[in-house]
Amino acid sequence: MNRLAKYYWSRLKRNRLAVAGMIYIIILILIAILGPYFTPDPNKVNFAEKNIPPIGFSIKQSYYDAKKGEFTTVVVHGNLEHPLGTDDKGRDLLSMLVSGARVSLYIGILATGVAILIGAVIGVSSAYFGGAVDNVLMRFTDIMMTFPFFLLLVFVVFIFGQSINLIILIIGLTGWTGTARLVRSEALSIRTREFIQAAIVLGADSKRIILRHMIPNVISVIIVIATLSIPGVILAEAALSFIGLGDPTVASWGRILNAGQDTLDTTWWVAVEPGILLFLTVLAFNFLGDGLRDAFDPNK
Amino acid sequence: MTATMRKYIIKRLIYSAFIAWGIFTVTFVLLRIGPSSPADRYLATMGAGKGDIEEIITALETRQGLDKPIYVQYVDYVTNLLHGDWGWSFSTSMPVMDLIRIHWIYSFQLILLSMIFAALLGIVIGIYSAVNQYSRIDYLSTFFSFVGISIPNFWLGIMLILIFSVKLGIFRTYYDTSLPVFSFENLKNLVLPVITLGTGSMAAYTRYVRSSTLENLKKDFVRTAKAKGLPERTIIWRHVFRNAMLPIVTIIMFDLSGVVFGGAYLTEIIFGIPGLGQISFNAIFAGDYAVVVAVTLIGAFITLLFNLITDISYTFLDPRIRYE
Repeated sequence: MNRLAKYYWSRLKRNRLAVAGMIYIIILILIAILGPYFTPDPNKVNFAEKNIPPIGFSIKQSYYDAKKGEFTTVVVHGNLEHPLGTDDKGRDLLSMLVSGARVSLYIGILATGVAILIGAVIGVSSAYFGGAVDNVLMRFTDIMMTFPFFLLLVFVVFIFGQSINLIILIIGLTGWTGTARLVRSEALSIRTREFIQAAIVLGADSKRIILRHMIPNVISVIIVIATLSIPGVILAEAALSFIGLGDPTVASWGRILNAGQDTLDTTWWVAVEPGILLFLTVLAFNFLGDGLRDAFDPNK
Repeated sequence: MTATMRKYIIKRLIYSAFIAWGIFTVTFVLLRIGPSSPADRYLATMGAGKGDIEEIITALETRQGLDKPIYVQYVDYVTNLLHGDWGWSFSTSMPVMDLIRIHWIYSFQLILLSMIFAALLGIVIGIYSAVNQYSRIDYLSTFFSFVGISIPNFWLGIMLILIFSVKLGIFRTYYDTSLPVFSFENLKNLVLPVITLGTGSMAAYTRYVRSSTLENLKKDFVRTAKAKGLPERTIIWRHVFRNAMLPIVTIIMFDLSGVVFGGAYLTEIIFGIPGLGQISFNAIFAGDYAVVVAVTLIGAFITLLFNLITDISYTFLDPRIRYE
């Protein structure tokens, strides 16, 4: 770790909520990567074990007993085999949530990456070239910003289709506007500084100045925006899946939540559990992002 | 109104017209570079045996003007939209404009009530927190605003249904459309949807109002007012509140397009409120292009209009703003 990173880390460490958020995120990433190797198949349907509540809970269940020819009511307890319960098709909820974590983080991180990349390139170019380039790029940003984000997302996914990689690309292509604005204003203030003037005088070309001098200096802004954007992207994907516009082949948290809404009166935990995970994940990224912003801010 | 103000307003109007043109163009380009319309294919398969699908698609494309050169299509698209001809919704068998005329009021009702709920509570809690900085209530409200900002609104809606409708049976799980819009009886219908949609915004406003109030409490004019011996209440409401409100107006306008429209879309689907989000949602699964386009365009135009109103009202609200 170099000296600057050490310095920022020592500042970040003082913010307990940010550290807690970071630990949660690291654990979640580990679970998302390694978890599916340890949990049973999330798609295995087993009607004999349907509607089992999470551990510590029990529900009454009526079913038709074919032998006796009458309805019987039994009490079903949560058990260790399915610690988070099962859904109405007997699928293990823990496995579903673990593989859902993989999907949500994959989309969250990759789509944010695409959006930040586009936003940073547009923001820095706009600030560096100024004049007509700045004008065209910022007017285009204004137009894109006028579309309400989620409506635009629904519209574009509706037109282009719902595969997971397409959704990542679409979220990236619609979500860059805020980044572009922020990076531009940050880059504008850096552009007037002496070391950029010096580089120009020494004959560095635009590409070198942008890549070697401007990008590294706006990187802290970019890291903060990225951290604070990931939860928005995860939520956007969950919302898309929730209304049935997600990739139908992957079980993201939003899709589990959607299925859970239909069975609220019997298996309430199917809707509760993915929501809690979504909530905690968003909270963790918000805490970490806030902490990073303070750590990078020289005035604090 | 001064001459510079008039010039500024005219400039804003022209710029808004430019953005409107951009909105038309972006949707047109997206529609054209997208894979061909599933609606056409759907109609074609509905109406014919396998043999002449291609023929029928060609006929449909001719009817919709898709065989004309691209620039003619573009001009047609923009002129039709400007003339209020927003296409035909085949899944509901009526012009899109009529469909919107029936359903917009439900979205308007939901969004308006949620914004009132969010703004009132956000402002009151925010100011109270700032005035009593570092008190227990301040910590509590900071904590709850973090929770409110992070809680996914569609999940909050489902949890409210689970607790208040399924378990306690206080509210119905579904929106009752037989009750008149904006009526007193309808309020019970709207309690859960309004909390669902308003909570995130309320939490965000609380944080902004708090920091904006704290900033203003440190200003010289507050010290002057205190030195004059004005009572605390007067200082806060007459001096701090007014100045703290200006940035809040911008935040609310920004929030409206960034968060509220998306949230309203989801809230309507969860509670079965027949607003614009719901009709767009239904249209998606019917492959009804015209409706989905129309709802997206309306969202963008309302945002555009509100941005314009915010900018212009600023010229009246804050005499310190200079126009270039």
